[in-house]
Amino acid sequence: MKKRNYLKGLRVLLAILFFVPILLFFVDFSRVLPDSAHRLLHLQLMPALLGGMVGLIVFQFLLALVFGRIYCSTICPAGVFQDIINRLFCIGKKKKKGSRRFSYHKPQNRLRYVLLAITVLTAVFGFSGLCLLLDPYSNFGRIAASLFRPVVMWGNNLLADLLMKVDNYSLFHVTISTVTVSGLIAATVALLVFIIMTIFRGRLFCNTICPVGAMLSIFSRYSFFRISFDKETCTHCGNCEHTCKAEAIDSKNLTVDTSRCVDCFNCVSSCAKGSLQYRLQLPTTSSSAQPAETNGRRAFLATGATVAASLPIASAIAGGKGEKKMNRKGRKKWPPLTPPGSISLERFKDKCTGCQICVVRCPSQVLRPTGLEYGLDYMLKPRLAYISSYCNYECTVCSDVCPTGAIKPLTVEEKTTTQVGIATFFKSRCVVNTEEKDCGACAEHCPTQAVHMVPYKGTLTIPQVNPDLCIGCGGCESICPVRPMRAIIVKPNVEHKFVERPKEEEVKEVEVDDFGF
Amino acid sequence: MKRRDFLKTSVAAGAALSLNFEKLQAALASNTVAVEQAPDLVAVMGGEPEVMLDKALEALGGIGKYIKKGQKVVIKPNIGWDRTPELAGNTNPELIKALVKKCLQAGAEKVTVFDHTCDNWQKCYETSGIAAAVKEAGGIIMPGNDEKYFKEVDIPGGVTLKKAKIHESLIEADAWINVPILKNHGGAKLSCAMKNLMGIVWDRRFFHQNDLQQCIADICTWQKKPVLNIVDAYRMMHQNGPQGKSAADVATLKSMIVSPNIVAVDTAALALFNQVKKLDMETVGHLSKGEALKLGSTDLKKINIKRIKI
Repeated sequence: MKKRNYLKGLRVLLAILFFVPILLFFVDFSRVLPDSAHRLLHLQLMPALLGGMVGLIVFQFLLALVFGRIYCSTICPAGVFQDIINRLFCIGKKKKKGSRRFSYHKPQNRLRYVLLAITVLTAVFGFSGLCLLLDPYSNFGRIAASLFRPVVMWGNNLLADLLMKVDNYSLFHVTISTVTVSGLIAATVALLVFIIMTIFRGRLFCNTICPVGAMLSIFSRYSFFRISFDKETCTHCGNCEHTCKAEAIDSKNLTVDTSRCVDCFNCVSSCAKGSLQYRLQLPTTSSSAQPAETNGRRAFLATGATVAASLPIASAIAGGKGEKKMNRKGRKKWPPLTPPGSISLERFKDKCTGCQICVVRCPSQVLRPTGLEYGLDYMLKPRLAYISSYCNYECTVCSDVCPTGAIKPLTVEEKTTTQVGIATFFKSRCVVNTEEKDCGACAEHCPTQAVHMVPYKGTLTIPQVNPDLCIGCGGCESICPVRPMRAIIVKPNVEHKFVERPKEEEVKEVEVDDFGF
Repeated sequence: MKRRDFLKTSVAAGAALSLNFEKLQAALASNTVAVEQAPDLVAVMGGEPEVMLDKALEALGGIGKYIKKGQKVVIKPNIGWDRTPELAGNTNPELIKALVKKCLQAGAEKVTVFDHTCDNWQKCYETSGIAAAVKEAGGIIMPGNDEKYFKEVDIPGGVTLKKAKIHESLIEADAWINVPILKNHGGAKLSCAMKNLMGIVWDRRFFHQNDLQQCIADICTWQKKPVLNIVDAYRMMHQNGPQGKSAADVATLKSMIVSPNIVAVDTAALALFNQVKKLDMETVGHLSKGEALKLGSTDLKKINIKRIKI
């Protein structure tokens, strides 16, 4: 008999509990949510892998081994997002065209594991670009940061303008400045891929392209708890097969491919006879009943061969970095400025998955996703762009929220002494020199007095930089009025350095008892 | 103004100027005469911000002389930096709180406070204590973080700066009060009443590109001038300005200088600044440039000053 399907309810509840806060964390432009909400992101597998968080990796693998890929239906925001797309697609459609439009397909195991192997190998050889491009969480992050967030901000601006008319300033106008062309393209492509794949083939992304899904499938293949048929009661109606987003149920042969099953439990609900159940079934007893196993073995061998063949390509991609850093004029181009806490450019390149959480949480909006201007291996990773703002002196938000540890957590003390670059002054461009007029905007914004004004002609003063105090926050560069090239620019440190804290001067009591006029 | 207040003020003002009883007689006979006799500039020393504000306004003839019933009033402090009040990077929040209350008591329809900050605006508003002070006093604290809030106006009197985008609360205001804090400044040399007007415009880059000192003087020629300039010198940043590094940059002067005349108030403030650190008038270029634009006099001997020590 059909029973109430509590498992599906639980899955949906968990999915909401993970997805909604993560989504809000990305679109929350006015920083209503506390930064501590970043803990939710630390369950994401790809960041944990790149960050080398062994405990979490083991936990996720064990979870998949015991319960199957519940990760893909609850913790992974891209997985839940695909379920939402699917749900929206089904609105107003008959079951056959909507929720029961799927049918069993053979797994694309070769493609799946070759992609996984190449991703892993390139990462091992020091090129994390594929991890960045294929990671579901980071793709979701980019969609949320470059597409959803601007929409929310526009909505806010409309509302803020209305409220402003009645003197209510609880909402305020915001400028969308962190969306770059490359970020927008990456997000749009990812969104289209998710929509198209979900509509036509359900969870095809998760079961062929996604390296996280592929990795978990190796464990879920042998999961202790799994969906299985009760052959006595099954009427071969096919409802379960047509309802399976993973296209993993073969209702003719009564098999469920647990390497692809994402534990959504929709099939359990669809079965009028209650023939499908999620229960403890140790792999030894079920392997004989699964022809997919032999397939899997063959696929594994094929994968091995393909991977061996592709090794030179992988190492070539990985080795191709770090060259040709010249711009068009042939001058040596400065590398990107990496956020404080990233320790070095190379380390940052290896660990960052380009999820954009630091970009959206930065209160100064100074972090921007890059395109290809710093090479393939810096694509979509954030850099400090001192275009109209600078890195706030005592702020450590980006290092607090980073789920991979690519930006290592810093104390305020460490932050205020981490030198990400050094301000470089070009006297030939400075208005004090060219126009012989007062300016001093750079020194004004310097939090450490590394940039300070020294006597120049007549009453004029001109900036001077003390590199031992400069932390490269960009206060000076962001405010310098000279265009097109500014007169003071922060030159990146490829390896971050530490500077002394500015010396505390003694507080002197000043006695004044006359106005002086 | 109540009759009793009026009498008190008139007596105080008259007595302070001289002990000429003819003038007192005249003051009692006609309101206009009393107004003429009020000092051009009041300097107060030795009290807490709200006490000094009371004394200064009393000497000038009361807030009601400047703020009328039903007016939309804007108060423009300096909230440029993410600094606590002790570090003197921003106007004293106690002063702003007292002033907002005074304006509301004078019958202002609403009192709006804003600044176009240098550091992150939300951090500045919060750390300075000004957002909390304004809300407590019943005023409105308005953002100035987006170009959207600024409207372009002509500056016909400007030499270099001919147009500027100015915060819309000021454009709509019936009266506004300029409330700077007295500071050392790396670029402009002195940051006080005239320099504080840089916070009413959106595009400050133009100022730095095109002769900072001239543009500061130019913006002060905008036709809607502040009805009062209240210089907060309770704490004064005498070095490393305008942002400051530490408490070592701050001197506690417990002073306040108030005048409708922006050049005179800055000249007096500079003299007070010189009590702590030497700073020549000629280096503060916007003062003489302001005088040239007929914004006021740098000759303090020509004006009527009242000094109050508490």
